[in-house]
Amino acid sequence: MGNKHTFKLLTLFIFILIGILHNTALAKVYIDIDAPGFQQFPLAVCDFQNKKTGALPSDEFSTAIADNIRHYLDLSGIFNILDKKSFLEGVEPGTPETIRFSDWSVIGADFLLRGDMIIAGQNDVIVESRLYDVTRGQMLFNKKYLDKTGDLPAFARAIAADILLALTGDEGDFNTKIAFVIKKNARSDIYTMNYNASDMINLTNHQNIVAAPRWSPDGQYLAFTSYKSGRPAVYLQNLKTGKEKTVSSFPGLNLCGSFSPDSKKLLLTLSKDNNEEIYVLDIDTMTLKRLTHSYSIDVSPAWSPCGKKIAFVSNRSGSPQIFLMDTDGNNVKRITFEGNYNTSPSWSPRGGRIAYEGLINHKYQIFSVDEEGNNLIQLTFDDADNEYPSWSPSGRQIVFSSRQGSKSRISIMNANGLNMRVLKENKDHLVMPSWSPRFK
Amino acid sequence: MKKHLTLIGLFMVFAFSLTMFSGCAEKKAVVKDEAIQEQKVAPTQTAPVVVTDDEAARRAKEQADREAALKAQAAKDRAARNAAALNDLNIQNIYFDYNKSSVRPDAREILKSNADIFTKNSAAKIVVEGYCDERGTAEYNMALGERRAQEAKQYLINLGISASRLETISYGKERPANEAHNEAAWAQNRRAQFLLK
Repeated sequence: MGNKHTFKLLTLFIFILIGILHNTALAKVYIDIDAPGFQQFPLAVCDFQNKKTGALPSDEFSTAIADNIRHYLDLSGIFNILDKKSFLEGVEPGTPETIRFSDWSVIGADFLLRGDMIIAGQNDVIVESRLYDVTRGQMLFNKKYLDKTGDLPAFARAIAADILLALTGDEGDFNTKIAFVIKKNARSDIYTMNYNASDMINLTNHQNIVAAPRWSPDGQYLAFTSYKSGRPAVYLQNLKTGKEKTVSSFPGLNLCGSFSPDSKKLLLTLSKDNNEEIYVLDIDTMTLKRLTHSYSIDVSPAWSPCGKKIAFVSNRSGSPQIFLMDTDGNNVKRITFEGNYNTSPSWSPRGGRIAYEGLINHKYQIFSVDEEGNNLIQLTFDDADNEYPSWSPSGRQIVFSSRQGSKSRISIMNANGLNMRVLKENKDHLVMPSWSPRFK
Repeated sequence: MKKHLTLIGLFMVFAFSLTMFSGCAEKKAVVKDEAIQEQKVAPTQTAPVVVTDDEAARRAKEQADREAALKAQAAKDRAARNAAALNDLNIQNIYFDYNKSSVRPDAREILKSNADIFTKNSAAKIVVEGYCDERGTAEYNMALGERRAQEAKQYLINLGISASRLETISYGKERPANEAHNEAAWAQNRRAQFLLK
């Protein structure tokens, strides 16, 4: 049910690959966007042209698809999308030979996207898109996309992903979702939405305390904590069938942690042995192994993307701080030392860094720190409480929730804290956003 | 449950559409399309039945409303009785310091007096509920609330209450006793409550 778009995307496939997808674009990063001096890519996206007259899905389709591409690329946070009013060159269908690159470089575009709509058969829509490097006067790719349903956002996501792949070596986060909790008084439930805040879907109807939604890395399941039985228990929802099963309902606390990279194991916080400890549950065999042994609170475990380490929160040194340990519970190491309330660790999918929330000047703000506990960076500074960071699959963005007075928001920002964008704002509490893996 | 609701919904839509038909098309009201649904809801197909169906629906709804009201009243009465019983027993909450789960000196006396009550009511199980104030992470507070409940439970065990009678539940920061956002409210919210059942 939550994967409607996955199926749509399956129907959208690359039709023909004309031109040459730059080999170097796949092999190495065209431009290193993580370099300290990186500026956003200035990109001009032309409205697409109707190459053949005929029954297009609608007259607006060709401009709407360009608008959608602009919207998605803008969301990625690494493009400066130029205003089409500034374009000097007309948008008549043009071959690479006829493009006057100087007309584009003079308005500040480093890259140019042009495209056409073509009709094949009764309902088939083909979209052709071409990306140019304006500075070098080169075509970077020329690709055709076919979709029988004419699903406009799916075209736009596929094209946007190809642009990002060509320029950065990574397809970005366009085909992802964000799960989050909406809390109305003491009743909460889990919702999902697309990365651009469209298609919000209600995933649970528990109307109780519901917390900590976590995607399995294979995109098949969502695990979470719910009090629907009157007591905290951990549930696993199959995202295809919508079926829910209880995976942990021991006496005392049952809190959902995070999945192992192979989606086979789930970290949990349980108090069945009279103290909050971290356990790992093998989902197939339902066997449980205890990882921490400390007479203190151990909670919020997060598995590293390489599968070798677990970050967690413990108050064993007096206040809640972030610690790392091996997956067998050995080699416990504290990595946060600033401040006296650091919780909600989330591991970058590219490894290396851990985002968390910490209390500073009476506000919760998002920070990130490397695995050694060095190179601490504060990412949010505004007058809100910014909480629950979760990384995007590309590792380039972080979603988080913020509260300011009666306002509650889900926002995203670049991993360096720049370019904050609000995805959703509400009077109810929007909390605990969790970024999905990429859906294919 | 969902299926049940859908059925009721279907039924009501059907009943409504029939009344509409009886208004404008008189006895030809029963059309082929609805024959299948008709069988589900009512065995006969003449117009008067349509009215009966409508009435039946109304009666069923009234009956359901009455039952719901009675149930709600019963639940309220029960809660009031329980609260009264608790008051009679004089079981008291204990309170905690910010971000701490250790039993405070003032809470020790309360736990002793609570333990006496629990000993006198030896048939009852005791649920120890742990709560936190609104500051901090929901997840960490769920753990902290559990820690508070566990500490209170351990103290009661040391006072001679059998561990098998005690269970714990944490509501974290999700169920504040006082909704205000100030120091006084927070102090009231960092608590353990005791429920006999």
